[in-house]
Amino acid sequence: MPDLRATLGRLRLCNPTVLASGTVGYGPEYASLIDYTTVGAIVTKTITPEPRAGNAPPRLKETPGGLLNAIGLENVGLERFLSEKLREVATVPAALIASVAGFTVNEYAELTGAVTAREEIDAVELNISCPNVERARRPVWDDPEAVAEITRAARATTEKTLLLKLSPNTADILSVAEAGEAAGADALVVANTLSGMRIDVEAGTPSLGNTTGGLSGRALLPVNLANVWKIAGSVSIPIVGSGGIADPGDALEYILAGASAVQIGTALFADPEAPGRIVDGLAEYMRAHDIESIEGCTGLARKEKEREWQRTTAD
Amino acid sequence: MARLTRKVSIDPRNYLFTFEVDRRFPKPLPGQFVQVASSIELTLRRPFSVAGASRPGEVELLVELRGKGTRTLAARHEGSTVSLLGPMGNTFSEPSTGEVAVLVAGGIGVAGLRYLAHELAEEGKRLVILVGARTRDALLLGDLLPSATEDDRVRVAFSTDDGSAGHWGTVCELLESELDALGEDRIASPRLYCCGPPAMLREAAAIAAAREIPCEVLLEEIMACGTGACRGCVVMTKHGYRTVCSDGPVFDAAELVFEEAPNA
Repeated sequence: MPDLRATLGRLRLCNPTVLASGTVGYGPEYASLIDYTTVGAIVTKTITPEPRAGNAPPRLKETPGGLLNAIGLENVGLERFLSEKLREVATVPAALIASVAGFTVNEYAELTGAVTAREEIDAVELNISCPNVERARRPVWDDPEAVAEITRAARATTEKTLLLKLSPNTADILSVAEAGEAAGADALVVANTLSGMRIDVEAGTPSLGNTTGGLSGRALLPVNLANVWKIAGSVSIPIVGSGGIADPGDALEYILAGASAVQIGTALFADPEAPGRIVDGLAEYMRAHDIESIEGCTGLARKEKEREWQRTTAD
Repeated sequence: MARLTRKVSIDPRNYLFTFEVDRRFPKPLPGQFVQVASSIELTLRRPFSVAGASRPGEVELLVELRGKGTRTLAARHEGSTVSLLGPMGNTFSEPSTGEVAVLVAGGIGVAGLRYLAHELAEEGKRLVILVGARTRDALLLGDLLPSATEDDRVRVAFSTDDGSAGHWGTVCELLESELDALGEDRIASPRLYCCGPPAMLREAAAIAAAREIPCEVLLEEIMACGTGACRGCVVMTKHGYRTVCSDGPVFDAAELVFEEAPNA
C-alpha cells in the first residue's frame, strides 16, 4: 500500500484529502452520506465571534462548470460553537480543522486561541478570503501587511497547526503568501473562491441576493492551480491546493504543481463519495508510477520543468 | 443507484418517472425529496419531491421540463441507472380526526402533493384536492391524483387562468369557495396543504391566516448539499433563516415571512 500520509505543521493526516470549509457544515449534517473515515481532515463552517444570519437569498447560482455562492458566513458564533456544536463536530472520525474569521486582528487572535484551546480541534484555518462579506475598499486578502498582522496575532495564541486560506481575488497572491509564511503560518490553502456574478435577465436583477458571490467548482481549477504553481516556487511551508477538485486527476495536478494536500468542496454536492474515490485514485497512480509516498509526488511537475529549463540554458 | 424503470410523458412538458431503488433506500414520507444527479456536466444535483412511493422499492418523480437538469433526466432511457440520494427533508403533519385535508396545488406543485394525496385517500381520510394551472394541462396532471368519490369523501376541482378547463380564475379563488362550502359543514374543519408558485403560496397562506385554519406549504428552492450543511437554500421565517432542505421543505405557513407582492 502506498504511503498516503500528509503533514501540515504538527498535524498528521492519514491521507492528503481535506473537506473544504462551508461545504460540510459542522460535519454531522453530512454523516449519513460522506464516509469520514476516508478523509484526512474536515474544515468546519467558518466561525465568527458573534452569530451571523448570512446573506439574503438566493444564495446559490449554478453556472457552467461551477457554482456561485453568497452564503455570507452564516454561523452560530463562537460561544454556541464551543458549547453546542463542538460536541457534534467531535463525532466526525477525521482530523478537525476549525475555520475562523474576525473583523479585527484581535478577533482573529481570540478566535484562534479559543478554538485551539479545545482538545477536539486539531488545527485552525484563518479565513481571510471570504468574498461575500462587506469590508473596506481594500480587502484584507489583498493586503500583505494586514495578512501578516492577523497571522502573527493568531500564531501567538497557539502551537497547533495554523493554516492560512488565501484568496485568488488579488493581483499579487505571491506577496500575500510570503507575508503569511513570514508571519508564522504552518501551511497555505490556495485558494478560496473567485469573485463573480450572474444576472437573471427575466427578473432584470442579479441572480444572487448579495449581487456577487464566490465561484467554485471545476471552472476554478486552472485558476487556483496556477496560483499553487506560482506560490510553490517561493515558499517552503506546505500548500493545500483547493478549487475544482472532483477526480483523482484533479488532485494529482495540484500535488504535482506543489501541493502537499488538497481540499474537496463543491464536488461533494454531486458526489459525496468523491473523497474515497480520489484517495483510491491517488494510490493507484502511485502504484502505477512506482512512487512510495504521496510526499514524493509533491512538486514533481516542477522538477520536470526545472530540468527542462536547465537543459535549455546549458545548451 | 436507482434504475429508471418507467418514463411516461404526461404531456410535452411533464414526465412521470418510476425508479427502482435498492433495499437500503428508506421508504420516503410524503413531502420528502430526493437529490438526482442527472448529468456529470452539472455541478449540482436536482431536488425533486417524491411524487409517489406507495409500492415498496419504488420512487416516482413528477418532473416539469425547465432547464438542463430536467432535460438531461428526461433524455434518460428506461433501464438506465441514475444516482438518487435521499429521501431528504421533513414531512407533513397528519390531519386529525374530524379534519378535512384540503390540498392546493399550482402547476407542477402537483408533484409535491401527489404522494400525500394517495396516502390520505388510502387511509380513508376526507380529502379536497384543488389543482390550478395556466391552461387545461391541469387536467392531465390531475389524472395522476386520486379520483373523486361518489360519497364526496374525495372531492377534486380544477381552475385554469384561461378558462379552458374547470373554474376560470385562480386556484385560491377555488379555495375560498371550497372553504365557504366546508364552513357550512360544522362537523369538519379544514387543514391546508399547499405546493405551487410563490404568489399562490402567499395568497393561500393569507387565506388560511384570515380564517384561522392550519396551513402547511411545501417549498422548492435551488439546493446544493440537501442536508443542511451548506446553508444555500434558506427561506426567511419568524425565527430567522431556515434551510428548505433540512428544516423543510414543509413549513407551517404561519412561520414563514413572505415577501411583499409586487404592486400590493
